Amino acid sequence: MSEPEPATPFRERAGQALRDTFLQEALTIATTKFIGLRREAFAEFPEGEALRDRAREIKEATLQRLDHYLDLLIDNVERHGGHVHYATTSEEARRIVLDIARRTGARTAVKSKSMATEEIHLNDALEAAGVTPIETDLGEYIIQLAHERPSHIIAPAIHKTKGQVAELFARELKRETVPDPEVLTRIAREELREKFLQADLGISGANFGVADTGTIVLVTNEGNGRMVTSLPRVHVAVMGVEKVIPSMTDLAVFLAILAKSATGQKLSVYTSLVNGPRRGGELEGPEEFHLVLLDNGRIRQIAGPLREALSCLRCGACLNVCPVYRQIGGHAYGYTYPGPIGILLTAMLNGTESVKDLAHASSLCGACLEACPVRIDIPRMLIELRKDVNERRIAPWSERVVFGALGRLLQHPALYRVAARLGRLLQRPFVRGEVIRRVPLVFGDWTRTRDLPPVAARTFQERWAELERPGRR
Amino acid sequence: MVTCLADVFYPEVGEKIVRLLRGLGVTVQFPAGQTCCGLPLFNSGYHAGAAAVARRTIALFGDAEQVVVPSGSCAWMVKHEYPGLMTDPADRTAAERLAGRTHELSQFLVKRLGRRRFRSAVGGRLTYHDSCHLLRGLHESESPRALLRDLAGSEFVELPGSDECCGFGGSFSVRLPEVSTAILDKKLASVEATGADAVVACDAGCLMQMRGGLSRRGSRVRALHLAEVLTPEETPR
Amino acid sequence: MTTKAEFFDRIRAEMGRTRDLAPVAPSVRPARPRERLDVLRRELSERWRENLQRFQHEFERVGGVFHRVADVGEAPEAIARIASERGLRRIVAWHAGALGVDVVAPLTAKGLEAVAAPDAEVAGDERERRRALAAAADLGVTGADLAVAETGSLVVVSGAGRPRSASLLPACHVAIFDREVLVESLVQAGLVLEAWHDGAAPPGRGASINVITGPSRTADIELTLTRGVHGPREVHAVFVEQGLASRRV
Repeated sequence: MSEPEPATPFRERAGQALRDTFLQEALTIATTKFIGLRREAFAEFPEGEALRDRAREIKEATLQRLDHYLDLLIDNVERHGGHVHYATTSEEARRIVLDIARRTGARTAVKSKSMATEEIHLNDALEAAGVTPIETDLGEYIIQLAHERPSHIIAPAIHKTKGQVAELFARELKRETVPDPEVLTRIAREELREKFLQADLGISGANFGVADTGTIVLVTNEGNGRMVTSLPRVHVAVMGVEKVIPSMTDLAVFLAILAKSATGQKLSVYTSLVNGPRRGGELEGPEEFHLVLLDNGRIRQIAGPLREALSCLRCGACLNVCPVYRQIGGHAYGYTYPGPIGILLTAMLNGTESVKDLAHASSLCGACLEACPVRIDIPRMLIELRKDVNERRIAPWSERVVFGALGRLLQHPALYRVAARLGRLLQRPFVRGEVIRRVPLVFGDWTRTRDLPPVAARTFQERWAELERPGRR
Repeated sequence: MVTCLADVFYPEVGEKIVRLLRGLGVTVQFPAGQTCCGLPLFNSGYHAGAAAVARRTIALFGDAEQVVVPSGSCAWMVKHEYPGLMTDPADRTAAERLAGRTHELSQFLVKRLGRRRFRSAVGGRLTYHDSCHLLRGLHESESPRALLRDLAGSEFVELPGSDECCGFGGSFSVRLPEVSTAILDKKLASVEATGADAVVACDAGCLMQMRGGLSRRGSRVRALHLAEVLTPEETPR
Repeated sequence: MTTKAEFFDRIRAEMGRTRDLAPVAPSVRPARPRERLDVLRRELSERWRENLQRFQHEFERVGGVFHRVADVGEAPEAIARIASERGLRRIVAWHAGALGVDVVAPLTAKGLEAVAAPDAEVAGDERERRRALAAAADLGVTGADLAVAETGSLVVVSGAGRPRSASLLPACHVAIFDREVLVESLVQAGLVLEAWHDGAAPPGRGASINVITGPSRTADIELTLTRGVHGPREVHAVFVEQGLASRRV
């Protein structure tokens, strides 16, 4: 287990989220906006569909020769003067970064947005070791001040109102302010500018690692990615092994679809290519560059059922279209990665047991697959996870009994017919006019909010004899 | 293929389809002993059970020339998942044969029979909800709309967010009833905002969910299966 | 701690367990990218006007401010105008060789405080001093090594005389460019990146390449767009019709 299990059951967390009216409104506005922006961006981009197919192929091709491309990336990073480290577990990744921080003598570390560092819970470890981590992406900065975790892969503070942010700044930064995003942004810019200039250590993730050139690529909008990788003396990039891609030509394919999928922009404001530490003659740039290659459950999926999920670009498009995510937001999922892909990533990092409930947090509507820039078949893998949960007997015994019985019933028409007749009998006390308003047990949960149709007086099969009568039209 | 939900809860839908097809000159047969396509087992990850049910269904429909299904989700199950569930190569071939001959109702009417003009069985304004498996699984959004737009005697209006899930998702609707209902409320609010008298869908699961919600809130809006709005007499224009 | 060998052993073991994968290939790459790029540049030079128009359209769409001057002598004036309209005084610039024009002298003559980056390695405390200058500056002047019409992007390569900070720390960024650096699409930008990385880097080239598409922005607070979060609030592009004699990367 890489991440701790949440304290409350999923259904309860989901219920809390549904009752949070601020959150409900924020989610509706944000996801609707993102959906519209993505749609417009692709509507103007007819080559998009073919590029998505290409992107998926490139990811698959890379996986098929992962050792070769990673090796090439490593050689090139080292050729640039960078250092490469290998982290099998999240614990090991934390230790590597802490060692670098210790050797650097760092007291503060500025961080640009990195889901990989969230996944390994790096900030807590840094603090415990006496290194102050400072999140610099505005959304991450906000949630760090609020002692919360991100609720969306690309818009971490989507659940906060501007009023809440203003209160937060007043409380944590001791700055009286107004709930105006312009003003709040300016405050963050001032506060963080000093931190960038003073920090000893910069920590980032990596959107891509280009094997052929040894280049780490960061896709950002605010400029903090550039600051973190140019101003402090030491730069550490934590990168999942699946982020490697073969060449710059491949990079152009991904860049063409990534920002469009995430926010509808043609490109994010800054696409930063880092070729190791600073070179002679440069005024800025780190003296040391470290790349931490992270396994943390990824390598096992190369031949595993979640292999396709290794193609994920972390764009968040699937979150925005997911009817479940849109209702409950990111925190309810209880782990680092929320939304449809988040369920798969959680299983990848923490094992099937961790998603025994989350695997069912989906109506299998397929909107995620439709939105995914690399066409990851998330619904198929959710079903595989459900199957895994059953086969390992992680699913509750009562459920397995019910479905086992259902399976047998559906193979025996006589039993099926008996069941229908039994249903017709048992429902009598509950039928009100044409509907059933309340039943106990299993379907009781349905009837709390919805009516149920009664079992028909005669099923279609029971009526067929009349319908079939010869000569009848 | 009547489907378990239509068989047990909405037999009138099955009946209307039979009359409709006969009215179009189609000979309708009904293999006895149908139970279910197995989708509920499949979606919940009980694949051995689903495969057994699938094998049985394939055998049941072995002789059929064409198979018409009132639910997009069941049609999808047969067409997309049956072959993969069969381990035996002969079973797989039979599954593929069946998949090729299976059609959801609106697809059968518009694409196979080339019929799209009907008289409406209900007056007023109709709107349409895209069931997820029909829309994204079978890539079908046009056939139902063609039928509804060309209906004589009723008006068709698009539903904003028609491609958004209604929240049914099979067992999802009882495993996570609060989330399912929240999704449903959003859908029904859109439906009511269109001013439609009825929302039409091509899936018994979506109907059960939407009808259940509309009825509980005492709405005057009805949720109808496509078969319930098409009358068998084709109207010349 | 996991060694490289152990890490790769695990990867190869897992790769060995995969079954029935339909072979697919990554992108086909140009065998001789630098030659291909030369050919492309010749073709593009015929179409530069349309490409410039497209660039301007997309650049403005992402919030950039576009300017055009006839020759390199007018570039400092354009910068001075941008500065005075906004009440900006302190300017840091790339070295004249990298820009293709000396902006420091003309800007200083107009009463502005302008400083250009040194063109060679300097000692640590001098770097600190320069960084403080950049942090205190209101406006940064750079060249552009590429201008991508499809997206309205400016690409800057760091190096000697080409500090990263000039396009990052001051609130206003002005990039001077000419028709030589115009490309049409991301695909072509990909070719340029292949060419730039083909063989050894020329002396003086730095480790950072940035594709800049508009001013720094965020929508993290209630999805309200705000500019100038950490990077510049404004990006200006000054197109010099007669061309620049700047040192190429």
